[in-house]
Amino acid sequence: MTKSVADNVNPNIYDKESEREKTAADFDEDVEDLFDEREIFDLIRNINDPEHPLTLEELRVVEESNIRVDNKDNTVVVNFTPTIPHCSMATLIGLSIRVQLLRALPSRFKVTVEVSEGSHVSEHAVNKQLADKERIAAALENKNLVQIINQCIAAA
Amino acid sequence: MTSVWYKPELADLIISRSDIIFTETQSIISDIVSGRLDISDLVQNMGGVLTSTEPENREKGMRFYTKILKEMPRDYLNEMQVKFISKFYIDRLKDHHCVVPPVLEGYLALIDMTEYKIQNCTDFLPVLFREISCQAQLRQDRYNIYTIMQKLCDKDIEFMKYIGTDFVYGVISAMDGERDPRNLLFLFAFMSNFIKTVPLGHLVDEMFDVISCYFPIDFHPSKDDPAAVTRDDLANALCPCLCAIPQFGDSCMVLLIEKLDSNLRLAKIDSLKLLVESCKTFTPQTYTPFLRALWSSLNREMSHKTDDELKLVAHEALAALVGKMATTADTDQAFENFLKGILISAQTTIADATTVAQFVKGAKVLLTTANASDQSCATITRAMVPAIVAYYELKSTPKLQVASLDLIGDLYECAKNKGLLNEVRAQVSNVPQVCLAAVSRTSKEFQLAGFRTLMRVQDCLGEDLVLPFVEVLIYNVQHALDNDLLSTSVETIHMFARKYPELIMNLVVKGKCNLDNLKQDKMLFQKRLNLLTNLASIDDFTKVIIEQMMKIIIDNDVEASHVVEAMSAQMSEVSVFSTEKVTQIESDHGLIEPVLAWLYREISSSSPDSVAHGFALIANTVGSLPPEKQQNILAKFTPQALERCAQDDVFFSVIECLYSPLHPGVYNSTFEEILKVSLKVALGSENETARSKGCALIAHMLNKAEPGQQFELLYELLKVRLSACNRDDEKLCTRLILLYGWITKALLMRGSEMFLFWLQKIIGTISTTRYCNDAAEAIKLIMSESQEYLSPKQHCRISLLYKQRMFQTFSGLSDNVKQSLTPENKESYLLSWAYVMDKAPKTVLKNEAAKVAPIVIDSLEYSNKDMLVVSLDVLCQFVQASPEHVSSSLNTILPRLINLSKYMQSMDVRIKSLECLYEIANNFRTAYLLPHKQDILLDLAPSLDDKKRLVRSVAVRARSRWFLVGAPGEDKDN
Repeated sequence: MTKSVADNVNPNIYDKESEREKTAADFDEDVEDLFDEREIFDLIRNINDPEHPLTLEELRVVEESNIRVDNKDNTVVVNFTPTIPHCSMATLIGLSIRVQLLRALPSRFKVTVEVSEGSHVSEHAVNKQLADKERIAAALENKNLVQIINQCIAAA
Repeated sequence: MTSVWYKPELADLIISRSDIIFTETQSIISDIVSGRLDISDLVQNMGGVLTSTEPENREKGMRFYTKILKEMPRDYLNEMQVKFISKFYIDRLKDHHCVVPPVLEGYLALIDMTEYKIQNCTDFLPVLFREISCQAQLRQDRYNIYTIMQKLCDKDIEFMKYIGTDFVYGVISAMDGERDPRNLLFLFAFMSNFIKTVPLGHLVDEMFDVISCYFPIDFHPSKDDPAAVTRDDLANALCPCLCAIPQFGDSCMVLLIEKLDSNLRLAKIDSLKLLVESCKTFTPQTYTPFLRALWSSLNREMSHKTDDELKLVAHEALAALVGKMATTADTDQAFENFLKGILISAQTTIADATTVAQFVKGAKVLLTTANASDQSCATITRAMVPAIVAYYELKSTPKLQVASLDLIGDLYECAKNKGLLNEVRAQVSNVPQVCLAAVSRTSKEFQLAGFRTLMRVQDCLGEDLVLPFVEVLIYNVQHALDNDLLSTSVETIHMFARKYPELIMNLVVKGKCNLDNLKQDKMLFQKRLNLLTNLASIDDFTKVIIEQMMKIIIDNDVEASHVVEAMSAQMSEVSVFSTEKVTQIESDHGLIEPVLAWLYREISSSSPDSVAHGFALIANTVGSLPPEKQQNILAKFTPQALERCAQDDVFFSVIECLYSPLHPGVYNSTFEEILKVSLKVALGSENETARSKGCALIAHMLNKAEPGQQFELLYELLKVRLSACNRDDEKLCTRLILLYGWITKALLMRGSEMFLFWLQKIIGTISTTRYCNDAAEAIKLIMSESQEYLSPKQHCRISLLYKQRMFQTFSGLSDNVKQSLTPENKESYLLSWAYVMDKAPKTVLKNEAAKVAPIVIDSLEYSNKDMLVVSLDVLCQFVQASPEHVSSSLNTILPRLINLSKYMQSMDVRIKSLECLYEIANNFRTAYLLPHKQDILLDLAPSLDDKKRLVRSVAVRARSRWFLVGAPGEDKDN
């Protein structure tokens, strides 16, 4: 599975954001913390890129501003931006995000993972794959694929 | 009847009944030593077996002979006998291969004999090297051969040098191909000395080849090996051999550079470590031809993105290399070129940096190089400081600018530590200007960085810049709301004040922050109080400021309580106010009297908090005084305090703050009176603070009383009074138990055995239903640590490891209670355990894991929050450090943890139980975990929707980890 040359050999690297500050409300037993964009972002920022020893945050594949959460309707929408428009790893990255959210979010949420508009040449194909539950279930039967995904999200 | 070893039948006996005769060697030796049997006769009697035609029999004979030699006193044989036996053994080397092992073992024993002459080995070694192929022997026999070589070297190294290359060749051929890790460990240790002492002659390359073939070590110890040799042991032992002598230089460099380019991480790390080690022996000239290649490898490793260990070693290697090369700075161009290369590369990194991480990468390289030697430090500071100043002014991103300020500070400090400031004076002179630019910005990050850098470069600060800085600082002190910024500002003014006392005196103390001008604006006033109190610690300011403050307190100004609060907070900082300074303030200005007077007035009307500051201030001041001054203070203030206290318990606080911080040994006739009052308050008062202060003072007195009469007197008085107490009064009993806790603590901390008596009383009450909770509270008190009571600041005696002692004692005593536990008091029993475990040293817990683990697991069933928090902590430790003690109870632990992950009363408990689940998945063998995996994943799902975010994030971590258990891609050994 390992490719000798990465699609994007020399990607731009960006600063990591600092950890979320813990406020007094976080330690208050009586306050209920709702899910917010930052929390979802924290779940996926540390996923490793399959090609580089860098996180999706450092590559700005995921950004807090591209996440939307609705606690009432129980929906989470994540848009991610591949580093280059013809990135062959886009589906894999999307799959990793999806699997991580599948494991980390309560089942009440309906999770949508999509490529940001106009950031990938085969945007629709990728989005269609990522939206197809059965294809995702099938992909997770594939041992090699699961191994790569597990390695990517192990640090998250 | 004479024993068999006096007769030739011995030979037959060795052959036929070897099991019996081998146990008789001690008797034979005592016969020999006492002179009844001559060793030559013994050998003669063994003749039959030694000359037998069957090799097995000869082996038995030699084994018997060797056993005799090994057990014989080392100084018994004379020189002739040793020589003769040596000859015999040498001859035996040529025998059948199965005879060889006992021969080697025997010769090893022979070398240890006092009369063994080193000349004997001239016969032995050639035969050994010719007849025995070392690597064809078993592990233990190879080890014996190596040990023989080492012993010979230890015995007379000069002689071994005299034998010279023949011996070296023998050693090389013997060890060539060794594969056993233990033997290798022994060999590496031996060789690193051997190579350094014995000249290798023409065999340098051969020797290097034989050793270097192991580099880098690739070794995985067997799982079943109880005392396995680790890879790191081997690598650490091999490293010094490879660079033992300068002659290895060239070959070693070639090897190093080749391995640095390897894909294996361990190969790189080992090579870098070798590079560091090699700088101790090799000459700088060795490195010159390889500098370019080395730098490119080092640079690559230092810019590694994720591997911190690798980066660290690469930095160490760079530092070692620069340090080594710097020794040739005056004679060789190579060093200069090398430095230039580093500079250019680091400058490029910094110039291209778009993130702080990239900037820091370049900065670190520069700092490592600068720290390595004086020459490199001067060069780099001269080149980089102006460059970074320019970079700062380019206004890249704020984060990068802050980072560049930090770098300037680091470089400056490095030059300062090396005493090179004069050489770089011209380059650093305008750094304060840059700091001023930074602090003039409104952003907090810039100001903080500016002040921090300014404090580091304070030596080159010119007087002309003081005024603008002070303007900014005063503004900050008046208006800043952020605590970090405020304290940094105060710190900076402190620095200025030490440097330019007069200037600050005029500007700040008498000018902008004059107390009289300020009282109008309350907010401003309180903010500046801290600044002023801080400045009061500087000699030139003490008088002016303290007098102003005293005046406010004496006048009972409305602001007095704030003044007291500021003084109490600042003066307890030992780094600001030294004990001498406090003593001086007290003797010059008389701090205690007005504050006490203020307290007497305010105690009933002011809030408990502001009064508490006053007591803290007095306690701190008394504590800083020398013993004789403390006596004076006591004499002066005790009568009034006692009188007031008789009227109202509230005034007991005065007595407490005067008597608690005394030095051990300070004693006067009122002590008994004080003890009586304390007892009365501790047991009788309705005011809870007064009660606990009463207990605390009793504890202080017991802890600090001088051993002997003084202590006996107080202790007896206490015992008599306590035994007179009525045990039927329920309220009193609760208070008594708590007091016992204080007494136990005081005695335990002073290292007195008598604590046992009181501890037994407390533990006894655990088994009662009514008082078991009080007993647990008392145990909590004994283990807890507080700055206010029984601390070093109050000159208490604190014996080493008292917590460990408490753990051991408690652990012993609690066994007795265990049988009489009922469901009602079991919780208190477990809770007491939790308090003890919480504070006991981690190593002790680990050693006692077998005993503690069941208690911890028991506790998980209850719902007391304190107990659960501690138990989960301890359990987590066990899971990480010694999983074997808990792995058998996995079936019990997992459901309880899952249950606790839904514990509604406390998020702490939820978080800790989830952390524990994470650690379990991380540390236990996959085989134990797999049966539970699916259940745990289902059970963890509700925690993902916990109402607290902090809990959710731990739940995610735990659940994600459990998903990986046994799944492809899991990073785990088993």
